[in-house]
Amino acid sequence: MRTESLIERLSGDLQPARPRSILREAAILAVLGVAEVVVFLAMGFMRPDMSAAMHAPSFWWKLISMGLIAVLGAGIALCSIDPTRSPRRGLRWILICITIIFASGWLIDAAQDGLLHLLMRLNWRQGIQCAWKMIALSVPAVIALAFLIRRGAPSDRTGTTLAAALASAGWGAFVFVFACPSDDPLYIAVWYSVGCGTVTLIGQFVLARLARW
Amino acid sequence: MANATLPDTSAGHWDRLMAAALAGDAHAYRSLLVELVPWLRRYYRRRVPPMMAEDLVQDVLLAIHEKRHTYDPSRPFGPWLAAIARHKWIDRIRSMKWQSTEPLDENFGTPDHENSVVAETTLTQMLGRLRPAQAQVIRMVKIEGYSLEDASRATGQSVALVKVNIHRGLKRLASAVQRVSDED
Repeated sequence: MRTESLIERLSGDLQPARPRSILREAAILAVLGVAEVVVFLAMGFMRPDMSAAMHAPSFWWKLISMGLIAVLGAGIALCSIDPTRSPRRGLRWILICITIIFASGWLIDAAQDGLLHLLMRLNWRQGIQCAWKMIALSVPAVIALAFLIRRGAPSDRTGTTLAAALASAGWGAFVFVFACPSDDPLYIAVWYSVGCGTVTLIGQFVLARLARW
Repeated sequence: MANATLPDTSAGHWDRLMAAALAGDAHAYRSLLVELVPWLRRYYRRRVPPMMAEDLVQDVLLAIHEKRHTYDPSRPFGPWLAAIARHKWIDRIRSMKWQSTEPLDENFGTPDHENSVVAETTLTQMLGRLRPAQAQVIRMVKIEGYSLEDASRATGQSVALVKVNIHRGLKRLASAVQRVSDED
């Protein structure tokens, strides 16, 4: 097709377009997040000892950590959907955040009794179930972010989709915290890494293919 | 790099046209696209072989149309346009990994000899960032249109190694362009 004909066609098809708003998109994600937590708890998945768990520092450690990853990742993904913005600096902040999360988890763990019964603490049967649930809970976030990325114009596809995949992983883990029966930092560090890592790898692979424009 | 290539939006003229286009003004939109074409042609003729330039111009026009809602009317249009043009350039480099190529014919340097020479120089500079083995096979297979087997025979690399070097070289090239834009 000749360029002049293309211009005629494009200008002939023109419809008014509402400029995207990061705040509007963030609000959509926030509403979806709250709805997922409500539905998840309404389905009876909340841990039975929640009131006691809320006194444990590790409960707040994992809740805040996962929430932080989800919020940071989603924020970076939404900002970098704009073609003029790069997600690279934000991704460096997420990596720093994850390092601090692991370091603080190690400190909380060191404050507890020794390293006895390591394998028992890891409790792999329960751990695999936890990781699986985290993965399932991250699916709404992956779908929502895929929709927003597909609609946007990210110029750094790898960076934006990595931020979105990390956000989805943090999101799924954040929701799962309300049901997670363990407050053992070692267990959390291992199985949350497995769940979040799986979502990040698969999510980034899938989202990168949807982000082409 | 981006500053050197940033379009002159004539003191907000393109900004106003794009804002009007977002509101549905087809006449303003048409004027804008018509005015963008010469800038885009200049942009690509200095970066890619001439036969790719017009395709990229059209790719950018389509991207502007499909992604126009990502333009914020409160910000200048130039950087938004430059980001899309650069993205399409990087995307084209990436897509060369799985696209077959046609050999360049004798009119590589004509009719617009200056732009072709500049594109060739830019390409040579970009390929200079790669390992010689990668640059050599990319030039042969993706630009000059040799088959993998011919490139293998000419360079002494196995066919598998030619494929690997093309894949890694183009990936590195796209990253280099991306890095430059990030630094900007």
